[in-house]
Amino acid sequence: MDGGTSKPAGDGVGTAGCHALGWLVVGNAVGLYLALLLVWPALQVGEWTYGRLVPVHLNIQLYGWTALPLVAWLLHIYEVDRSKAAAWAPAAVWAWSAALALGVLHWLAGMTSGKVFLDWQDGALWGFVAAMLVLWLVLVVAWRERAAGWSAERKSLARYGLFVLAAVPAGLVHAASPAAYPPVDVTTGGPSGASLLGSTLVVVVLLLLLPRAGAATGNGRAGWGVWTYLANCWLIFGAAEWIGGTHWQFHQIGAMLLLLPWAMLLPWDWAAFVWPAGTRRWRLAVFGWWALLVISGVTMYLPVLLDRIKFTQALVGHTHLAMAGFTTSFCALVLVAVGGRSLGSWRWVAAWHGSVWVMIGVLAAMGWREGGEFSWMTLPAGWRSAGLHLRAACGGVMLATSMVWLKNWRKS
Amino acid sequence: MNRSALRAAVVIAAVYGHFLIFAQFAFVELLRIGGVSGAAEIVVLGTMAAAGVAGGFLAAWCGATPTGVRWALGVAGLSAALAPWVGGMAGALGVAVATGGALGVATVSLAALLPGWCGVAWVGLGTGLGYGCCNVPWVFTQTPAGQAWVAVGFAGVGLLAVPQGVAWRGSGRVAVFSWWGALGLFAALVWLDSAAFFIIQHVPDLKAGTWGDGLLWRNAGVHFAVAVGAGWWLARSGARVLPVVAWGLLAVAALAVDVAATRSLAGWGYPAGVSLYATALVAWPGWFTGADGPRSAAWQAARLFSVAGWLASANGIGMAQSLNRVPPIFVVAAGLVVIGVAVFSNKNPSLPAVMLTHFKRNRSLMAVAAVAVTVAVGFGRGKPPTQTAAARGRQVYLAEGCIHCHSQYVRPGSPDEAVWGAARAVDEALAGVPVLIGNRRQGPDLATVGARRSAAWLHAHFLNPQQLVPGSPMPSYAPLFADGRGEALIAYLQSTAIGWVNTCAGKAADWFPSKTATAGTPADGLRLFARLCSACHGEGGRGDGPLAAVLSKPPANLAAGPFLWTAGADSLELRISRVVKFGLPGTDMAGHEVLSDGEVLALTDYVRHLRKP
Repeated sequence: MDGGTSKPAGDGVGTAGCHALGWLVVGNAVGLYLALLLVWPALQVGEWTYGRLVPVHLNIQLYGWTALPLVAWLLHIYEVDRSKAAAWAPAAVWAWSAALALGVLHWLAGMTSGKVFLDWQDGALWGFVAAMLVLWLVLVVAWRERAAGWSAERKSLARYGLFVLAAVPAGLVHAASPAAYPPVDVTTGGPSGASLLGSTLVVVVLLLLLPRAGAATGNGRAGWGVWTYLANCWLIFGAAEWIGGTHWQFHQIGAMLLLLPWAMLLPWDWAAFVWPAGTRRWRLAVFGWWALLVISGVTMYLPVLLDRIKFTQALVGHTHLAMAGFTTSFCALVLVAVGGRSLGSWRWVAAWHGSVWVMIGVLAAMGWREGGEFSWMTLPAGWRSAGLHLRAACGGVMLATSMVWLKNWRKS
Repeated sequence: MNRSALRAAVVIAAVYGHFLIFAQFAFVELLRIGGVSGAAEIVVLGTMAAAGVAGGFLAAWCGATPTGVRWALGVAGLSAALAPWVGGMAGALGVAVATGGALGVATVSLAALLPGWCGVAWVGLGTGLGYGCCNVPWVFTQTPAGQAWVAVGFAGVGLLAVPQGVAWRGSGRVAVFSWWGALGLFAALVWLDSAAFFIIQHVPDLKAGTWGDGLLWRNAGVHFAVAVGAGWWLARSGARVLPVVAWGLLAVAALAVDVAATRSLAGWGYPAGVSLYATALVAWPGWFTGADGPRSAAWQAARLFSVAGWLASANGIGMAQSLNRVPPIFVVAAGLVVIGVAVFSNKNPSLPAVMLTHFKRNRSLMAVAAVAVTVAVGFGRGKPPTQTAAARGRQVYLAEGCIHCHSQYVRPGSPDEAVWGAARAVDEALAGVPVLIGNRRQGPDLATVGARRSAAWLHAHFLNPQQLVPGSPMPSYAPLFADGRGEALIAYLQSTAIGWVNTCAGKAADWFPSKTATAGTPADGLRLFARLCSACHGEGGRGDGPLAAVLSKPPANLAAGPFLWTAGADSLELRISRVVKFGLPGTDMAGHEVLSDGEVLALTDYVRHLRKP
């Protein structure tokens, strides 16, 4: 994947990492504040209520902390920092952050679509589309220059990648539309098993792509069998999504069960690649969380269990497992692998994972209790109060850790 | 840490703070309280402006010194301290002369001395502190007399902070614009700002949407952050472009404030625009006029502040007296002056050349600007007009993020049905745009809340949730009732339950507590009653709780009766239990659906005990 040995002319990857970690700090600070608001509602400032701040927290974590490492990855793949577009790479990152910052102002002002994780509308939507356009143009300029030295296969794949990326803004506009809503499991009001399979398969594809597109060298173990299985998963997703159904029906449960092999297949595939130094701990973390995410996700979808924990803190815990556990490890791995920098000592990494573990455990236990009795809504229970305090304490550790990571990234 | 620079920033903050909170605000209100209004008020304020101009030129003529700044702040503090006590026209004129003269001396002397005390970036910090402090709710919402004392505090702190000596650094500064150009440019900005401020301040709906209650902390933060950014930008050759950007922000704010849908944008743009140019205005005489020392800087400041500061401000307010919207012609006129000066009054290099250089050097800034312009262009487009109160209430439900704590989906065949009401058809739940099913419950499901809670109950709960549900994590939504959003939200919640009242009543009539449930001790009943019932029914159950007066009908006197709900074939205990559990749909009596059967029985026993003679 190394398209040249000349020194990079720009630092788009470094800037993207800096912004990503900066947003992680901001997102964690907002998350901690939200946790504290549940304990002490009087901490509210003006009209910035819990309800207005939740989309700020969620979207910063998704479009700041999670998306910007992927931007860094794209800048790395297209060798933007070695091209004449290098000076524009940091500008593209700044545009991205500006769009997100303006989105934050929208959400704080109560301008929200109500679509969790797709809360783009009005001026914020078009600002975000403009930011994506700036990034795409930077990638195109770099591709035109750098592709001359690439193999025909890589050149073609990069071109197709640009086509796919060009369609992303249109996809976002459609998905963010309040009129668009995915199929619903009528017994829960939540997503179907097929929908969960589809969204997780996107992550599977990213995990298969990462070592093959710039983050590692060598070849993986995935052969025709794995690729065929992936294709079949997609086909079954399409069929189950089309049929619809509930978590009491075999074909929806079966769709979820298709995820289980990926808990093993992906680490098996990655083990054959040669990874950059300093990435081992993050690869271990990625697959530790990944296995837990897949197994718990499938388990929690089963009848009776899902009926008890739906709408409770247990699902909030699972979301934190996905975002704070798995996604954070994946994003850190991407940054370390493509940025060549360090986030710091293992102690802080351990502090992060430890606090996430505790938080998930606390939320799962709270969710189990909540699902069994509704009276906590009017008669605040001691166990719930203790859980919320503990959760906030974990949030404090995570905020401190993210600040240390940002500092280390800037220093290294 | 450069202590002299830090002290200079504090003095800037003190002078700005005194000027904003007292001269522009509290003094005017004190005049009106003292009966000085109409033509007399104009005379007094005109006198203050004239004294300000005179004080400024006096400082320039005598020479700017730290001692002069201290004396001026002392007099300004004294005049603010006296203002609440003096009465009549003579006293008002005395305060006006003292205040205007002192501020004239202080502002001109300060502007001339600053380059000897600090770098231009510190001017942003001082300006931001001054504006930020004045927007802190505790300061902003003080009585006029209280604000006068705050101004005394500003003057005192400023007096103590004035740095010693003057060490004017550097020479050969280059003027960014010609002197008349700078005069016209800042006069146009101050004029537009003053007119817009006056109109917004005196039109209730505009004021509520821009710097109404609850928005002050935000405004303080925006003022501070933008002013600090302005100082940073001025230190990096931003002086040529900054005034144009400031006008752009003020223009967006002035135009956005006229439309309800975009009014909140004005709340961000206005303080940002003001902080940008206010920082530049303080820094301009010392750094950007070509002044080579305190004396020439003082003359530049006297000229600039007299015309742009005092006269343009008075003119802007005067022209806005009878208006209730910011006329676009005001925006265009100010823009023509600002952009005209920026283009034609520029010293070499020209504005286009400067912008090209900026473009090359600041690609990131340009990319950010492109995104910001796109957001501004797309702002408010495609929003369907909402006609009915319920439709507006749905927008409020969305805007306030209710969906993050409340679901609107009763799962068929689940325990939800026993607590929140019968399940709706899924098509009905999916019919809304956007769908509001939600995915988390920090509180109850709201699909049928309109049948389970009356409008009066919802209103009381929005104002103070903990009064009805002690320990609830729900915040107060009292600000929603200042502009009709609260009423619309209640209309929406009530509309979601049309046709469900009878269903809920029928469900209650069919309910029986579990045969294995036990009532617990009398102490349990007392504890539950005190927590959940006494707010309406009173501690003794006589219908005299603190919320009794806000309900549409007085709550039942549980110690006396008679009660409509006691009729029926079932036992009295069962009938009371059903009311405890499900309330009386269609009335203000709310149910306690989430209580366990044992808790319901404990409450039932307690209520029965109240009825005993």
